[in-house]
Amino acid sequence: MNAPAKPLVEIRDLEKRFDLSGNFLEQLRFRNGRFTRHQEYVHAINGVNLEVQKGEALCVVGESGCGKSTVARTVMGLLSPSGGEIHYDGQRIDDLDGKTVLPYRRKMQMIFQNPYASLNPRMTIQQTLEEPIRFHHPDWNRQTVQDKVYDVMQSVGIDPDWGKRFGHEFSGGQRQRIAIARALAVDPEFIVADEPISALDVSIQAQVLNLMMDAQEDRGLTYLFITHDLSVVEHFGTRVAVMYLGTVCELADTKTLFDSPRHPYTQALLSAIPRLEDDRPNHIRLHGEVSTPVNLPSGCVFHGRCPYANERCRTEVPNLIATDGGAQVACHAVEEGRL
Amino acid sequence: MALLEVKNLDVRFAVRGGDLKALRKISFSLDKGERLGLVGESGAGKSVAAFSILNLIARPGYIAGGEILFEGKNLAAMSDRELRKIRGNRIAMIFQDPMMTLNPVLTIGNQMVEALKAHRRISTRAARQIALDRLKQVQIPSPDKRLDQYPHELSGGMRQRVIIAIALLLDPEIIIADEPTTALDVTIQAEIMALLLELCEQRNVALMLITHDLGVVSQVTQNMLVMYAGRIIEQGPTKEIINDAQHPYTQGLINALPQMGEPGRRLYQIPGAMPSLNRIPSGCPFHPRCQFATDLCKQEMPEYVTSGNVDVACHEVRKLIEEEQQQREMTS
Repeated sequence: MNAPAKPLVEIRDLEKRFDLSGNFLEQLRFRNGRFTRHQEYVHAINGVNLEVQKGEALCVVGESGCGKSTVARTVMGLLSPSGGEIHYDGQRIDDLDGKTVLPYRRKMQMIFQNPYASLNPRMTIQQTLEEPIRFHHPDWNRQTVQDKVYDVMQSVGIDPDWGKRFGHEFSGGQRQRIAIARALAVDPEFIVADEPISALDVSIQAQVLNLMMDAQEDRGLTYLFITHDLSVVEHFGTRVAVMYLGTVCELADTKTLFDSPRHPYTQALLSAIPRLEDDRPNHIRLHGEVSTPVNLPSGCVFHGRCPYANERCRTEVPNLIATDGGAQVACHAVEEGRL
Repeated sequence: MALLEVKNLDVRFAVRGGDLKALRKISFSLDKGERLGLVGESGAGKSVAAFSILNLIARPGYIAGGEILFEGKNLAAMSDRELRKIRGNRIAMIFQDPMMTLNPVLTIGNQMVEALKAHRRISTRAARQIALDRLKQVQIPSPDKRLDQYPHELSGGMRQRVIIAIALLLDPEIIIADEPTTALDVTIQAEIMALLLELCEQRNVALMLITHDLGVVSQVTQNMLVMYAGRIIEQGPTKEIINDAQHPYTQGLINALPQMGEPGRRLYQIPGAMPSLNRIPSGCPFHPRCQFATDLCKQEMPEYVTSGNVDVACHEVRKLIEEEQQQREMTS
């Protein structure tokens, strides 16, 4: 790819497992006259490699349970990875302790999906926005903090006079603006947005997307944008990573991906977007049950639903391989030229 | 005669400080085998409209006026007992969240048999056979096994298939589907929508589809209504509305879709948000957000005008149409 010298954020061989089996006693099973220990994991991420370049908006798309939100949370340090590394600006950050990670926390901020849950109901908007500023700039005096809050509220289109109000007094779109203001309050370089518009109405989605694009232009922000909505990606993303069951199955420039999707899953996903024009050929219908990340299938994670799967797909895990179109695809069929 | 005809339906919610008008003089009709889309953002009243057809509006909501004529009989004036013969039997509903609709402590088979026995004198064995049949029709793998499974053992897409199978159990004339695919993933959503469409066409069932997704409506329905703040503001053939929307709100909704914008550029945005029911603006409810609003819009509720096959409630559209007519008269 057109890789400049150093990516801003680098995710290397990231793995995350969640233990489902509880404590030692809960793991014990009594079967056929003997005790056995039984452990079960959710394999949320299995070896994800991603680079986020400065100034771009990298979109991660996938359906529920594919691990996209886990990637976002692990990058932010809200979850610790089970394996792999996360680098920010050349520095490994996933193993830092609370104090040394602080400067990175200021540079990386997050916007959550549900603005009804992500704002503290007992704090006024002024308090909500002051908190991160005071935390990251303990030496600032009161006036400076308040000026900053005033500025940031204005920049997201919330009347600064509303600071005394509480979160419940605002509509969904306004709350999401406030959540964006909170992320912008400490002047971050990198923003992870986890489904920031999927809880909003159509006309409000456009407002919030515009706001995020304006902020990117004004402040030179870099986004890691998590979503399940491909039409938003087409509009917003510089590059797209498509995830399925904890692995990246295709990574490409937005235009390349939408013009010529290579991976069978990407093709099915694109054909499933309900579009306004109706003269399009019918969508690709997938069959078979969706596997769960608890019992990962062998080989390619998609083989159970893939119309092109063969013996090799059932046994061997495909790697991301660069194709001539500029996309990286993890698929045996593409690699062998069957597709 | 239309299969279902809703005339001047008024639904209100009695709360402290007066009535909230959730629906204001809604009129539309549904023919046999027709597919009708109801579009609007949250708070527009589309779910209230769907629920009130079967008189499922719970207190403090009530139907304050108007008629819901199903085969000539007014559902709004029926007793609960009479209604029960129609609910599920002649008019079936599909709700948004399949986990909320299915009873978690009964097997799929029991729930289906129960529904059949409530409406027909039928043996359990015969009922199970019909249930199995319907599960096959919604393309559930190994349907005989599913009959004895509980809802929690199925995935979201499977559950919604079961719901569709239950809706089809008694061969209804109308299916009202309230956001049937909103809780599902895109690929599953496409499968379920295709299935619903296929079954409705096969059996000549009328479908009333409530959704906020204009893409789904444009692919599935023949006619559509656009709702805003409890009013229908535009209705007509889906293709005409999608290709050439008349009302500024409908135009805004369509243009605000990311697929309508140029990649990387700002999207068209409608300023403001849907008003809440206790603060509905005077005159045209959309006027505070409308770029064409005049003094007339602030004072007077617009009546419907017909443009092509589409009915629109907008003063500005009426003005345009009248001007066109005058010009035509002048030239002739």
